[in-house]
Amino acid sequence: MMAITRRGVLAIPALAALPAAAEAAGTVRIGYIEPLTGNAAAAGQSIKAAAMLAVDIINTPHPDLAPMPLAAGAGLTRLGGAKVDVVWADNQGSPSVGQSDAIRLITQDRVVALCGAYQSSVTLTASAVAERYGIPFLTGESVAANLTGRGYKWFFRTTPFGPDFAKLYLDFLADVAKTGMATGKIAIVHENTDYGTSVASSISKVAASRGVKIAQTISYSANGTDVSPQVLQLKNSKPDVVIFISYTSDAILYMKTFKTLGYRPPIVIGDDSGFSDPSFAKSVGDISQGALDRSAFVAGKPGSLPYKVNALFKQRTGRDLDDTTARSMQGFLVMCDAINRAGSTKPEAIRQALVATDLKADELMIGYKGVKFDSHGQNILAYSLMIQLQGKGYVPVWPAGRATAKLALPFKGWT
Amino acid sequence: MKNFPRVLLIAAAAALVAAPFLTGNPFYQRIAALTALAAISASAWNLIGGYGGQVSFGHSVYFGIGAYASLLAYTKLGVPPIAGAPLGVLASFALSVIVGLPSFRLRGHYFSMATIAIAALAEVLVTNWGFAGGAIGLMGPASPRSLADLLFRSALPYYALFVAVLASLLGFTYLMQRGRMGFYLRALGSGERAAESLGVPIRRYKLYALLVSGAFTSLAGSLYAVMVGFIDPGSGFGILVSVNMVVMSALGGAGTLFGPLVGAIILVPLEETTNALLGGGSSGAAYVVYGAIIMLIARFSPGGLAQWWPLLSGKGRRGAA
Repeated sequence: MMAITRRGVLAIPALAALPAAAEAAGTVRIGYIEPLTGNAAAAGQSIKAAAMLAVDIINTPHPDLAPMPLAAGAGLTRLGGAKVDVVWADNQGSPSVGQSDAIRLITQDRVVALCGAYQSSVTLTASAVAERYGIPFLTGESVAANLTGRGYKWFFRTTPFGPDFAKLYLDFLADVAKTGMATGKIAIVHENTDYGTSVASSISKVAASRGVKIAQTISYSANGTDVSPQVLQLKNSKPDVVIFISYTSDAILYMKTFKTLGYRPPIVIGDDSGFSDPSFAKSVGDISQGALDRSAFVAGKPGSLPYKVNALFKQRTGRDLDDTTARSMQGFLVMCDAINRAGSTKPEAIRQALVATDLKADELMIGYKGVKFDSHGQNILAYSLMIQLQGKGYVPVWPAGRATAKLALPFKGWT
Repeated sequence: MKNFPRVLLIAAAAALVAAPFLTGNPFYQRIAALTALAAISASAWNLIGGYGGQVSFGHSVYFGIGAYASLLAYTKLGVPPIAGAPLGVLASFALSVIVGLPSFRLRGHYFSMATIAIAALAEVLVTNWGFAGGAIGLMGPASPRSLADLLFRSALPYYALFVAVLASLLGFTYLMQRGRMGFYLRALGSGERAAESLGVPIRRYKLYALLVSGAFTSLAGSLYAVMVGFIDPGSGFGILVSVNMVVMSALGGAGTLFGPLVGAIILVPLEETTNALLGGGSSGAAYVVYGAIIMLIARFSPGGLAQWWPLLSGKGRRGAA
């Protein structure tokens, strides 16, 4: 505390100085803003574990991960082997705290770039600070549509976002329809905060643009303890497809209520989040057989890059990488690769390196087709797969080229 | 003797006001701005909650109205967000009249419960109100179009603005404290029935206090939205917004002129620095420290820090609390 205070007072002449100055040869500091406390703390801590793994992969030689940039050598090779160091900041899930975090990381900790910040609302305010300071900000996990398209120069996003997911579901359903299954009557069931509403509206918009009508939209509060009214509504209207945009406890509750009320929609799709939470498969896996989910991350075949990275993560934490954690980790790796390619810790050089990013699918630990940013900073090669709960876990079932198991419809639920 | 604390206060105030301009550290400047902002809403709450003794846990409604007014003005009319602040103040007046008149019939904790209900209701309504961005919230200008958008990299301009608003609020409070309204409110705060039997027009003065209190809280909300550039139902209408105002006033001393300011000066930097020092490493440690300090104060100084003033200035208690 004292040291910081004194530094703060001595920093008076540095009033106008930008944090461009690199820490001599030693380390390159990157700020990472995540919800380390609060109700999204589990996700934030998981991302922290993954990022620490990424730091280890970069800073120490991992020749077995060869095609992955920075894995083989030690440190940032084009910066004289400089080590990557992450400065963590807890956003507590608050847009205002996230903004303070960004200011502190940029001006006090002198980070050269920022990653984060999980909640789209926090990413929005934190990246606005980065924009004003001229520091690159990359989000690997926030999906709200309004983040890109603000005309920002310093903002980049590697993850697919709302409209991408909507296209994925509709493409998938169009493909299923070819097999003769009815998919015309779609119901969306979404929790009523920003996550649920924004994804639901993305799906409705993309559906409308393709002439597909959403038959029913049900919004509910994720904190509720009973979802039978919603399930009864579905049971009455008999949709062909139910898309859930839910958090964990509510997703579990829906599956239990399906069983209690003896209702099986023909196709059940969960939008990541609750359905991807490891506790979902653990607690209701045996009554949710055939539930579909989206994911950009699938560990895949032994020997593949995702498989190896997942094994390393499992070694550290005892659990598999989930989709959100993997997307954030990939984002961080892209940022480190850009800093290395920039060969400099000057913000402008890093920004230009990010703009020039062109990573191929085999260099990634996640299932994107690559990483290449458009003029808004959005990765145009972002991609997700449809996975299905079969047995104890999820397996990729669509598109055919990437599937390792056969799609099993209709939704079986329980036996 | 009487001048001692005043001189001390003026000197301390001058030093505090100037300090952020002297440090070159943007993070400390940001903390200073957040402190001034928190002091505005806590001091505004203090008018009705501290002096008047009407403990409202629903002041987030006013804060949210102000914040939404400025960003709605920006998104719907394209004007700079700060131009929405007067609209927020007008809306707060309307709300005070509509909500205040019926709820003033309630006393003690029944009044507090009613205010909690109103705030919770407002949060749900806004969450489901598509026009105001629903659950997703509203965004301010991404980059400044003109100076009037009040988008600055440094926190100092915000700090200066907030201090000016705070000074006028405290100026009003000071005058009110010495005037008829102050006496009426304090009478009300120490015993509603007694005040009424002495001929204090309590309903009318509760309304006056709520009008001013709500207007300044709404202004604080507008300023928050201008600085942060984003508002959603949780950060505008959430119960924590109200709780912060109450806790700051209680810590510094509710019903005193500078109590809420003192509370803000202690709590905001404490929260921000514990988060900075502990938040990244050991998660949750920041809350433990924060909570422990609140408990210590509740245990050893329940009247807020204001009860230590007389001791510090070497004289006994005087005047009504």
